[in-house]
Amino acid sequence: MPRQAGRSLRRLESHAKVTGTVEYVHNLELPGMLHGKIFRSTVPHARLARVDVAAARTAPGVEQVITGQDVLSIIPDPYYGPAFHDQPILALEKVRFAGEPVAIVLAADPYAAQAALDLIEVEYEELPAVYNEVEAALKGAPLVHDKLRPGSMFADLIHVRPRSGSNVHVDYRVRRGDVEEAFRASERVFEDTFHTPAVAAAPLEPIVTVAEPGGSGPLTIHSATQNPSFVRGELARLLGWPENRVRVRTAFLGGGFGGKQYIKLEALAAASTLLAQRPVKISLTMDEQFVTITRHASTIRMKTGVSADGRILARECEIWWNGGAYADIGPRVTQKAGFTSAGPYDIENVSIDSYAVYTNLPPAGALRGFGVPQVNWAHETQGDRIARELGMDPLEFRLKNLLRNGRPQASGTILQDSGTEEVTKEVASAMRWAEPLDCGTGTTRRGRGVALAIKAGVTPTTSVAIVTLAGDGSCTVYAGTVDVGQGSQTVLAQIAAEGLALRAEEVRVIHPDTDATPYDMGSVGSRSTFHMGLAIQGATEQVSRQLIEMAAPVLGADAADLELYDGSVVARGRGDAEISFRELMATRFGKNTGTLVGSGSFTASYDTPDPDTGQSDDVAVFWMIGAVGAEVTVDTETGKVMVQRLVNVADVGKAINPLLVSTQLSGGALLQFGYAMSEEMRFEEGQLVNSGLAQYKIPTMLDMPKSVEVVLVEVPHRNGPLGAKGMGETGTLAVSAAIGNAVFDALGVQVKELPLTPERVLRAIRAGAGRPLED
Amino acid sequence: MSILGRSARRANPPEGVPLDYIEPATLGVAVELLASDEAARPLGGGTALMLLMRYGFLRPSRLVGLRRLASDLGGISVNDRHELRLGALTTLRDLELSRQVARSAPVLVEALHIVGNVRVRNAATLGGHLAHGDPHQDLPPILLAMGARAHAVGPRGSRWIPLDQLNLGYYQTALEPAELLTELALPVQPEGTQGSYTKFTAVSAEDWPALGVAVFFRRDQDRLAGVRLALSAAMDRPQRLAGVEAMLDGERPSESLFQAAAETASSAVEPMADGGGSTAYKREMIRVHVRRALEKTMRAPALRSG
Repeated sequence: MPRQAGRSLRRLESHAKVTGTVEYVHNLELPGMLHGKIFRSTVPHARLARVDVAAARTAPGVEQVITGQDVLSIIPDPYYGPAFHDQPILALEKVRFAGEPVAIVLAADPYAAQAALDLIEVEYEELPAVYNEVEAALKGAPLVHDKLRPGSMFADLIHVRPRSGSNVHVDYRVRRGDVEEAFRASERVFEDTFHTPAVAAAPLEPIVTVAEPGGSGPLTIHSATQNPSFVRGELARLLGWPENRVRVRTAFLGGGFGGKQYIKLEALAAASTLLAQRPVKISLTMDEQFVTITRHASTIRMKTGVSADGRILARECEIWWNGGAYADIGPRVTQKAGFTSAGPYDIENVSIDSYAVYTNLPPAGALRGFGVPQVNWAHETQGDRIARELGMDPLEFRLKNLLRNGRPQASGTILQDSGTEEVTKEVASAMRWAEPLDCGTGTTRRGRGVALAIKAGVTPTTSVAIVTLAGDGSCTVYAGTVDVGQGSQTVLAQIAAEGLALRAEEVRVIHPDTDATPYDMGSVGSRSTFHMGLAIQGATEQVSRQLIEMAAPVLGADAADLELYDGSVVARGRGDAEISFRELMATRFGKNTGTLVGSGSFTASYDTPDPDTGQSDDVAVFWMIGAVGAEVTVDTETGKVMVQRLVNVADVGKAINPLLVSTQLSGGALLQFGYAMSEEMRFEEGQLVNSGLAQYKIPTMLDMPKSVEVVLVEVPHRNGPLGAKGMGETGTLAVSAAIGNAVFDALGVQVKELPLTPERVLRAIRAGAGRPLED
Repeated sequence: MSILGRSARRANPPEGVPLDYIEPATLGVAVELLASDEAARPLGGGTALMLLMRYGFLRPSRLVGLRRLASDLGGISVNDRHELRLGALTTLRDLELSRQVARSAPVLVEALHIVGNVRVRNAATLGGHLAHGDPHQDLPPILLAMGARAHAVGPRGSRWIPLDQLNLGYYQTALEPAELLTELALPVQPEGTQGSYTKFTAVSAEDWPALGVAVFFRRDQDRLAGVRLALSAAMDRPQRLAGVEAMLDGERPSESLFQAAAETASSAVEPMADGGGSTAYKREMIRVHVRRALEKTMRAPALRSG
């Protein structure tokens, strides 16, 4: 029997997925179900003078119309959110972005609900609005929220201090050494400002929730969520109920990417079903998804002092995160991306200020990388400028400053078990960096670039798992990890199978259902294989111990000599003495009866950072380390960039399933490829002008890099399950900067704003040549 | 005006509204149905109309489905003037796969390969493609440069509309309300004609063009003859550039001639800014792609008669 860890097993649900038989909440229909359609604010910032739903209530087919006032009758304090409790289920006194839910129409026929939306009349008293993150942070900017409402759910956000009387609702900082002194001692000081736009997660299965009132049973929420346990806790808090009266379950998710994190439609669906006393389904259109959650637009100012021989002596980062109207998980983005914003480098003097800023735009949250792709764009783009101006090879400049194991990261936490050197070496080799590249001289130029990445695994978080063995010896895993398409069901089955010496195909991992699966913080931040893997290992150890204890008297052997092999307990060194799990269960419970239960949990350690300096001894459960290489061609007359090669190198600790790890990395890289090349939400006066996939351009197969390559590096993590680390985000982090650096190499000019549209690149070319494109 | 901006003011884009759907059996009834209701719209392949309805730009009271007319208004044939006659209800895919079209209008087939995607081409009809009036369509500049005429039937009878008179502006055509395109006539291209279509997309390969350039000419000894050049997508409607054609006609092709023609082209039109780029960028792309299109046409195979 092969080892289960390290097997390149195809996803266990592959066949069901391609034959269209897996469950998605999107397809769920319940008897008596109503469809909810949301009336959304048409203005970015206004007092609600009047919300008139009378005509809609009497429209044909309409069962109920619910406004913010109606919600108050069952939820007196209807503000939700993972970091702040700042988002009303339906707008109350005012609306804070164009697209904010104001009312919901419920009807058995979704088209009747949709048609009735036209009958709702809202009178707005418009207020001055603010859209740009830097302007919104200034004193005197219109305030999006008059009062801050911090939440208390997550331990890593407790030290994050909200700021009142400003749109800056979180002000996170790192102070290490003395940057001012070091700038004075520097041979050269470089200062640049970088921009990234808001972008959309755009999962193909929409954000969707079906709620059932439950009657005497629990309120039941079927939801395409990445955080079922969090949703349960948040609904219980809103309703003032114990958590055991709320049941949250998921199925397979048709993509999430962060867009289905924490709480999205669940509170509105819960309020609707409780008021209507019928099942209610809310499913967003693609256009609605765009105004529900975005990745933060950002402005990043980076100042770096270097010695004559290319050592980075000091780095100062100031980051403004455009959080939109509600905090969502922005405070964690502000902190997580903040403390690695100086990059994977060994820098004695670091100063970081990271501001979460409210604006009158749709809320921003986490999207594959918790803000790190934005800060990575800044430090890796500036890195190439510094190297070029110092006359150094960009890879040599990185190696010279690389953060190595045993050295403190900017937060003070010592780097360990991290392959920073290995990924750099591998990307150099894959890119054949030592060989020269002919950049060309005509209108097609060629260039190559690399970029390195670091991200901290979120901590402290918890995962709990239960593993059972049925009377026939078959194994079931009860885990709250959501399979969003990353293949977690398969990998968790492999970990459980490894622990019980079964084949992964024989193990069943059930979908999260808070009535059955124990707590898990969520399928976010690349944490599942590590945290849930460890919890499952704990649970299989308990089951394994029980099996061995049961088998010892039956086989007449010492427990220490027994081990599990292929569904049986085997006595070591005594070839024929063995008993199958099924027979063993029968000896204990009787034939085909009974259950063995094991449970395990994992809570990562954490040292709360000092709020003034951000310093901590233990701020990352593991480090995600990656390197990306890109080779591009650029049409110098049109500015069009074609990526010829995209090489993704990641330290994954141990690839429990190399096939899925590789596709996760290439998938993450191609997601970010779109954000690097073409994707950008464009707002005019707070109105999104390119909503939906016809206007907002996700790359097609024809736009993809000609070659997408993945290289796995395995530097085992001392605590990881079988040495594994999280890697779901590693492939996304450095893609933009690697492509940007390749463009820089090809053209000799830099673009500091994403995405790298032909026009932006052409403007840079023309400005560099002293003939700017005249408007 | 923005898509969400408009739809937001209409509360939300409708996923569908109750409406009347009729499939008449004759062209006459179809025209009558359209004439009797201002808010009625004809439905061909639906690839454009459905999007407009989806976004809430259009709320027709009635859709007049044309598919039962396909036997009369479809098909590809040659008329008595030896012109290629393309029925308005011919799908883009049928045009793309037609040997007859490939023979007499190879540039059209080349362009058809990259209109939308194959699913769109399977549904979209030639008549809809033209009557839609969207400036970002691929075929109008080619048909314009080929000197095509469109036949229309309406309540006041039928008429031929030269293609350079069909598009009046942004989503505006010369078609009267209730007037339907029935066929398109493509004149025989002179023997030796070389042609090309250049589609430039700015952000994604599968996109509407940010600029379309269609060029046709013959070579008379070492000089250009019968030059026809049309641009689209960058402006509010496809346009033939008579000035540029005149400066090329009768001239010896050269790098400097093409460069000068491209310069003239870029200042001859008023590009509009959109998701594909700013006015300045579009102007620059006209300069680059008109020159490249002329060079590409020089390399294009010459049409043989018969």
